[in-house]
Amino acid sequence: MTNQQDSMHACPACGLLCDDISGDAIARQQFSCGKAAKFYARVTTGVSPQVAGQPASLAEAVKAAAAALKQASAPLVAGSSTDVHGARALVSLAQQTGAAMTHINASSTLRNMKVLQHRGWQTTTLTEVRNRADVILMIGTDVVSHNTRFFDRVVWVDEAMFTEPAARKIIYLGGDKLSTKPGVSPDGRAPEVIACASEHLPEVVAMLRALVMDKPVTATTVAGVAVSTLKSLAETLKAAKYATLVWVSKDLHYDHAELTIENITETVVALNQKSRAMGLSMGGSDGDTSVNYAHTWLNGVIIDAPEWESHDAVVWVNSYSPQAMPPAGTAPVIVLGAPDSTFAAAPAVFIPVATPGLDCNGQQFRVDGSVTLPLTAAKPTDLPTLTQVVAMIEAQLKGDLA
Amino acid sequence: MITLLKNAKVIDPAHNKDGVVQDIYIRDGRIIAKPADSEKIGQVHDLNGKIVMAGAIDMHSHIGGGKVNIARMLLPEYQAMRRLDEPEAHICGANCSHHATPNTTDTGMRYIEMGYTAAFEPAILAVNARQAHMEMGDTPMIDKGGYAMLGNDDYFLRLLSQNADQKTINDYVAWTLHATQTIGIKVVNPGGISAFKFNERRQDLDQQHSHYHITPRRILQALSRAVNEIGIAKPLHVHCNNLGVAGNFQTTLDTMGASDGLPMHLTHIQFHSYGTEGDKKFSSAAANIAEAINSNKHITADVGQILFGQTVTASGDNMMQHLNAKVANPKKSVIMDIECDAGCGVVPFKYRDQNYVNALQWAIGLEVFLSVDDPWRVFLTTDHPNGAPFTSYPHLIRLLMDKTFRNDAFDKLNLNAQAMSNLKSLDREYSLYEIATMTRSAPAKLIGLQDRGHLGVGAAADITVYTDQPDKEAMFAKPDLVFKDGELVVKDGKVIKVVWGATHTAKPTFDLGVEKDIKHYFDRYHTMQMQNFKISNDQIAEDGRNHVINHVQG
Repeated sequence: MTNQQDSMHACPACGLLCDDISGDAIARQQFSCGKAAKFYARVTTGVSPQVAGQPASLAEAVKAAAAALKQASAPLVAGSSTDVHGARALVSLAQQTGAAMTHINASSTLRNMKVLQHRGWQTTTLTEVRNRADVILMIGTDVVSHNTRFFDRVVWVDEAMFTEPAARKIIYLGGDKLSTKPGVSPDGRAPEVIACASEHLPEVVAMLRALVMDKPVTATTVAGVAVSTLKSLAETLKAAKYATLVWVSKDLHYDHAELTIENITETVVALNQKSRAMGLSMGGSDGDTSVNYAHTWLNGVIIDAPEWESHDAVVWVNSYSPQAMPPAGTAPVIVLGAPDSTFAAAPAVFIPVATPGLDCNGQQFRVDGSVTLPLTAAKPTDLPTLTQVVAMIEAQLKGDLA
Repeated sequence: MITLLKNAKVIDPAHNKDGVVQDIYIRDGRIIAKPADSEKIGQVHDLNGKIVMAGAIDMHSHIGGGKVNIARMLLPEYQAMRRLDEPEAHICGANCSHHATPNTTDTGMRYIEMGYTAAFEPAILAVNARQAHMEMGDTPMIDKGGYAMLGNDDYFLRLLSQNADQKTINDYVAWTLHATQTIGIKVVNPGGISAFKFNERRQDLDQQHSHYHITPRRILQALSRAVNEIGIAKPLHVHCNNLGVAGNFQTTLDTMGASDGLPMHLTHIQFHSYGTEGDKKFSSAAANIAEAINSNKHITADVGQILFGQTVTASGDNMMQHLNAKVANPKKSVIMDIECDAGCGVVPFKYRDQNYVNALQWAIGLEVFLSVDDPWRVFLTTDHPNGAPFTSYPHLIRLLMDKTFRNDAFDKLNLNAQAMSNLKSLDREYSLYEIATMTRSAPAKLIGLQDRGHLGVGAAADITVYTDQPDKEAMFAKPDLVFKDGELVVKDGKVIKVVWGATHTAKPTFDLGVEKDIKHYFDRYHTMQMQNFKISNDQIAEDGRNHVINHVQG
């Protein structure tokens, strides 16, 4: 039995990794998602490596990159927007050069990791939600700003094994500028929206947890939200067959947001004493889950937060975010990344590499963590992969050392 | 080039050799017959009568996949980044770890340093198999393989509840082996992981599943029959219902009868050998279990010995781990429902010799080891990392081989636990031959690795050389030499060369027609395409470090 390579591709433009993108849709540029359209419209051909803004051969650029790394006393591998294979290469490069390693999404990833490392959590994955969830509570997020097709792929589906999809109860609790229209059921039933600004979520979510835990509460409102509303929400969650509490750590961008996430996950833990509920962390990508996971199995520890000021050279990988660059003032920067990168100032070295899922094959973790999908080259090019370029730099470094 | 191991004192139970002094010749990674005198010998190691065994095989060790990586993430207090330039006595990753959750590099290094040349991940969630293979692919030095979990996946439970015929089930089981690149089939808390998703908290062997209206016994019958009929060597790998529950020995005894006499392997049986006697309503039922294993020749078991100290338990059994989370130490845990396929539960534990239950668990494991007569049917495991890290195997071997050492350890246990164990009345001391059986010949035979676990002509040259000494822990902790596929990779217990092993699989023939219905199921209910669920040989071999060795079986 071999894997039949038909024309379906998994799209790495967000953490959902929709794997129903046909070659035909890519050829015709017909997508139901703006992120996918933008990703597959990228032009990655006709770009050569550069040294100090001047065109250079790949060999010259590799030599310049190795020289910059050799001179650095405290290099940093950052951005790290890539797939599992790229992550392996970057971990290897970091080990060989004594570099620290971080990711473009490290701050939002670490909000979740702090909760995991402090208390753990109880979570589920997309197929479980698709087939079981009868109540979906989104806290501080509309999900769709990050994962456009969440409702199409997971919620308003034609069929589910254990629940009636169209009858699902959708609730939004708090958040700023939410797009709640996707939460309207196929038969026109509006979702419940409990409004409060994101900045008030800490106290509102703490109150919800207290109510689910049957703690005595005397207040009648919290941050403008009626406690009776939250009490009713708590009862809805308790009565659910499979309540799913969804958050997106990127949307909880205030100080100590990890405490809000912990209140969400501990609400789930409290619910699971008697009924069934699970947490679901959405959002993600730039390969953040892949890079954090691979970093963990290769090093035994999770990805770290960037400390820009303490480094004297940066290897920057931006395969899924061509516009992204390190903070101004960081130098020298060695970009191993998107051929369609846009620079305000030319980096010391720029080596365009193949983007997994666009120019070359790869493997990527979905945002829910348990599922990994193969990425196939939608528009194959002869650009080198990140793995190949890192191997060349490592060989150059070893040659220098010898 | 031919390598000669001269004057080896061979212990090779597969060939009934117990200390036979002979020469071993190796060429192209294989053991060969004595070559003609005209052939040049490239390398000679005069072993002067040192003990030589095949490389050891760990048939049940959680070395790769989601659970293990979650465990690493969960416990930063036992990990720390270290720099490569830090002086290390051996080759290691940046974060050299001897703890319960080593990174993949250290996993391979620690195994080979102990003379182990293969380890099998026993609980690969089918939907998570790609990750498991990525981690195992990043594990150097040793061969790998895994058992795919079935029996809680909704596709299979639907088949059973719709009274699908056995052929359809067989084809689905075989399809799963192909799709997940595994060598065996595992069932964890049959039906229970699924039942937990329907808010059930216990699943007994003959209790109907609340949604599918089938029993765990029926699941065990169907799966053990499928495994038998598709003709793979590895019997169904069974993690029984009621893990860790006082009184669960009865479930375990009943489970032995659930395969209607077909071969079945019961895993980490220590955790399933508990009675309810005594003031604390928790007692050893090791004698009952061992007696049943002795008389039921179709049953094999690995022990899942616990050893004292900090570890972390990582299991597919989220139903029981959700209960265990109450006694987590440190107090944190991860419980997951996963993809209508299975689940997982990761709960850190600290086993203490002064804790009654822990002390008795320690004794129960050893009682099982010492009371099962046939070393071909009981396997040396700690269920790494659940009972203890695999790095504690040399210590465990000494407990089995050295009665005085064992009894001294027993005397330090919680006194109430001592009063509830007959361990000191068990005088047995394992011989080197028996240790070689349970760690080499028997696991290779059980899994179906025809060319591993023995030192016959044609075998892969995975070979470990030890100096016999009274302290068996010291002996097994630090082999003199280890050869992997004929290459000398460990000298005096230290890695001298990094190599990458292979992934062993079993791919029996089956009717591909079964895929039509599986695809239909994926299209109706899943959030991924069936084609992406399947893992190709090329994907295993990506990044150039791994390759697939398929074993033609049956």
